[in-house]
Amino acid sequence: MTALRQDAGLPGLLSLLGHDAVADDGPVVTVAVAATDTEAAVRRLAAAPGARLADLFASGGNPAIDGDPVVLRMVWGLDSDRRYLVTESVIEGERYPALSDIVPAAFTEECEIYEQFGIRPAGDKPLNRVALPPQVDPGFPRLGRPPAEQPADVHAAHFVGGQAFEFPFGPVRGVGVESLYYGLVTSGEELVDLYLFTWHKHRGVEWRLRGRTPREALFQVERTEGLGAVGVGWAFAAATEAAAGVEPPARAMRTRAIALELERLYNHAAATAALCQSTGLAVGQAAAEIALERLLRLNAAAFGHRYLFGVVDIGGARCGPDAAALRRELPGAYGELRRAADALLGTNSFLDRLEATGILTQEAAQRLGMVGPVARATGLRVDARADHPAAPYAEHPPAVATGQGGDVLARFRVMQAEAAESVRLIGDLLEAGAGPGCADLPEGTISRTGPPGSPDRSGLGWAESSRGEALAWVSLDEGGRIARARLRPASVRNWRGFDDACRSQNVFTDVPIIEASFWLTVAGMSR
Amino acid sequence: MTAASAAESSAGPARPASTAETAEALRRSVARQFRRSLHIRTLDTGSCAACEQEIRLLAAPHYDLHRLGFFFTPAPRHADLLMVTGPMIRAFDIAARKTYAAMPGPKLVVATGACALGGVYSSDAFTHGGIGETLPVDVWIPGCPPSPLALLQGLLVAVDRLAEKVRELTFTQEGDHR
Amino acid sequence: MPLWFVRGLRRGVVTTRYPARPDSSAAALPTPPAFRPQALTRELADRLCLVCPSRALTRSGDVLVFDAGACTACGRCQEAAPEAVTPSGEFELAATDRGHLVKRIPLLGEGDS
Repeated sequence: MTALRQDAGLPGLLSLLGHDAVADDGPVVTVAVAATDTEAAVRRLAAAPGARLADLFASGGNPAIDGDPVVLRMVWGLDSDRRYLVTESVIEGERYPALSDIVPAAFTEECEIYEQFGIRPAGDKPLNRVALPPQVDPGFPRLGRPPAEQPADVHAAHFVGGQAFEFPFGPVRGVGVESLYYGLVTSGEELVDLYLFTWHKHRGVEWRLRGRTPREALFQVERTEGLGAVGVGWAFAAATEAAAGVEPPARAMRTRAIALELERLYNHAAATAALCQSTGLAVGQAAAEIALERLLRLNAAAFGHRYLFGVVDIGGARCGPDAAALRRELPGAYGELRRAADALLGTNSFLDRLEATGILTQEAAQRLGMVGPVARATGLRVDARADHPAAPYAEHPPAVATGQGGDVLARFRVMQAEAAESVRLIGDLLEAGAGPGCADLPEGTISRTGPPGSPDRSGLGWAESSRGEALAWVSLDEGGRIARARLRPASVRNWRGFDDACRSQNVFTDVPIIEASFWLTVAGMSR
Repeated sequence: MTAASAAESSAGPARPASTAETAEALRRSVARQFRRSLHIRTLDTGSCAACEQEIRLLAAPHYDLHRLGFFFTPAPRHADLLMVTGPMIRAFDIAARKTYAAMPGPKLVVATGACALGGVYSSDAFTHGGIGETLPVDVWIPGCPPSPLALLQGLLVAVDRLAEKVRELTFTQEGDHR
Repeated sequence: MPLWFVRGLRRGVVTTRYPARPDSSAAALPTPPAFRPQALTRELADRLCLVCPSRALTRSGDVLVFDAGACTACGRCQEAAPEAVTPSGEFELAATDRGHLVKRIPLLGEGDS
C-alpha cells in the first residue's frame, strides 16, 4: 500500500490520473482529498476516459467517540492505467457533495451510507432504503451514527402513470430461488418499471466482521455469497494481506486461481440451466444440470467441498488441488457443458426467447458502473483479471470475452466463451504447479508502527468472480483485528442494472429469463 | 395404524401409553400420509444461496426427487412440507409466518442447513440465528450446504421412509466410525 | 429435438439409486468430525472451542459438547488437533429432534485447571 498523499488540489489529482510520479506505487494509489475538493475531483475522474467508479463507502463516525468524523472513500478503477485509485475525504457535519448527480453509479451507495452513517449528499434527492428494514429504531446496530430521519420508502426514478398499476411480488418467490421483493409496474403484460426492496436478506455482515481476526472473519465472508465464496473470499484475503503487508506464495496464488476458475465454470453451468428452465426447455435444463453436477463433484474431488468453501486462506490457500483428479475429470465435466451449450445455440425455439430480450445498453452499463459478463456482453471490456492483473493472472492472462448488443443471448455467449477460457487457464495453472501454502500472517500483534487507520494498516483487494469484479477494503487495528471491512461482491454493482434490462420492451415471462442471464445473488447484494 | 394402537403395541399390554409415545406415534402416522406423494415449498430466510443451489439439484437428473414421489410446488396451498434455509433474518419473520400459515394442515417443516439449525449466525438484532423460534420444526438437516444426498435422506426421514440415523451416532472414534 | 433424445440415450442413466443403493459420490463430501476422547484434555478441548467458527463446540466441565447441527464441516478443529479429530464420514445426519444432534463427549479429565 502506498503512503498517504496530501493533495494540494486538482493538479495533484491530474498527475495521478496521468502517469509518472506514481510509477513505484503499485496497483493501488490512495489519495486524501479535502471535503471541499471532492466534487471537483469526482468531476475530473468522471470525465476521464477509462476511469470507472468501482465503490463508494464510509468508515469512522463511531457514535461512542464524540465528534468522530466520517471518512468517505471512493474506489476508482483506472482500468487502462491498470491501477485502482482510492480517495479518502473526511466529512465533518452531515452533508457532502452530491456525487450521484455527477456519477449515477454512486446512488445506491449514497443511500447505504445515509442509513449506516447518517450523512447525506447535498440536495434533496429522495434516498431509497437499502439494507435496514422499515421497522428499525435508532438503536439498531449500524456501522456509524443513525440518520436524523429514516429514509422514506421512496424509490427514485419510479414511474406509475397512465394505465399502469403497481403490484408487489415476493419476497417469497418460486421454488428454490432466493427471497427477493420486486415491485412491478405494469399496464397489463408489458413491464413498465421494476424496482427491488433489498433489505430482506441483510445479515449485517460488515458489522459482524468488526473485532474479528481475519481468519475468523473469512468464515463469514465466504458465506456472504456462497456461490461466490472464492471470489469474495479472495478479495477479502487480498485486502487483509495488503493491510498486513504480506505476500502469498506463488503456488498458493495459482491454487486460488484454479478454484476461482472452477467457481466461474459451475456458475456459468448453473446459469445455463436456469436459462433453460426460464424458457421452458426441460431437456436443455437437464443437460446443463448434468454438467453442473459433474462440475460440483469435480470441486469436491479437487478441493474437498462442492462450493469451494475453505480453499482461500489469509496469506494463501488452505488446501491444494488434487491435480490428478482435476486432469481426469475436468474434460468430461466441461464436455457436458460444451455439448449442451452448442446444442442450445442450435435450437431456434430457445434462441428466439433470448434474442433482443433484456437489452442492457453499453451506455447504461457504463453509467451504472457495472462489471462482469453482464457488462462485457454490452461490449465493455472490463475484467479485473486483465485490467488489474495480480498474481497469477499477470503470468496467465485470460482472453477477455465481450459481446454485442447486451441482450440475454449476448450474455449467454459471453458465459460460454468464458467457460472455455477457464478450462484453458486451469490447464495452464496446473502445468505451472499449484498447491497449498500460506505466508506467515502476524495474527497476534501487527509489527508495524503507525496510528490506527493510517494506510499502512488498510488494504484493497479484488478478484474477478464469476459475476464480475469483487472488491474488498480492510482496515486492521493494532491487534491485527478488523476495524472496518468493506465487502463489495459484484452483485452489489450489477443488480442496479436489472431494472434497466427489464424495462426495455419486455413482458412478465421475460423477467426470469433476464434474471437467469444476470445470474447474480440476493445474498451478495444484501449482505 | 391408528395412533392409539401404535401406542399400545409399543407400550406393552398393561401400561397405558405415555403422552410422548402417543405424540410420537401420531407424528409418524401424519408423516406417513406423505410417503409416496409429497409436495415441497422452499423458503429462504436469509441464506448465502448455496443451500438453494443444492435444493434445486434435487430435481436434476443425478438426484431426481420425482422418482421418490416428491415434488416442488410454488404454491403454499398445495404444499405439504416447508423446506426452510437461512438463519431467519428478523425482517423476514412476517413473510415466513404467512407462508407457513398459508399451508393447509397436516404439514411438516424441515430446517435445512447449518444457518437454519443455529450455526454460522448467532441470535442478534439482525437474525434469530436459526428458525426454531419462529417455526415448529419436524426434521433438522445439518450441512453447509447439505448435499442433495443429505437432503434426500432428510426428506425420507421426514416422511418416515428412512429411519433416523444420527441419534445413535456418537461422533467419537472408538464408537461407530471409521 | 431428436438431437437431444439421441444424446440422452447415448449418455445413459445418471440418476442415483439412493436410498436403495449407496452412492459413491458421498465419499468425497466433507463431514462433521469424530473425536478421540483419549486425546482430549481440558486444555485441548478449550482450544478447539475457540477455533470453531460456528459455535458447535463448547466445554461443560469434563465434557466436550459437540453440536452436529451447528457444525459446517469446515475442518478447522481437525487442523488444530489432527491427533484428536478426524472426519466422521457421516452425511446422513437428519434428526427428528434438535437434541439428537448434540453429543456429549467425555474428556480425558487430566491436567485440568
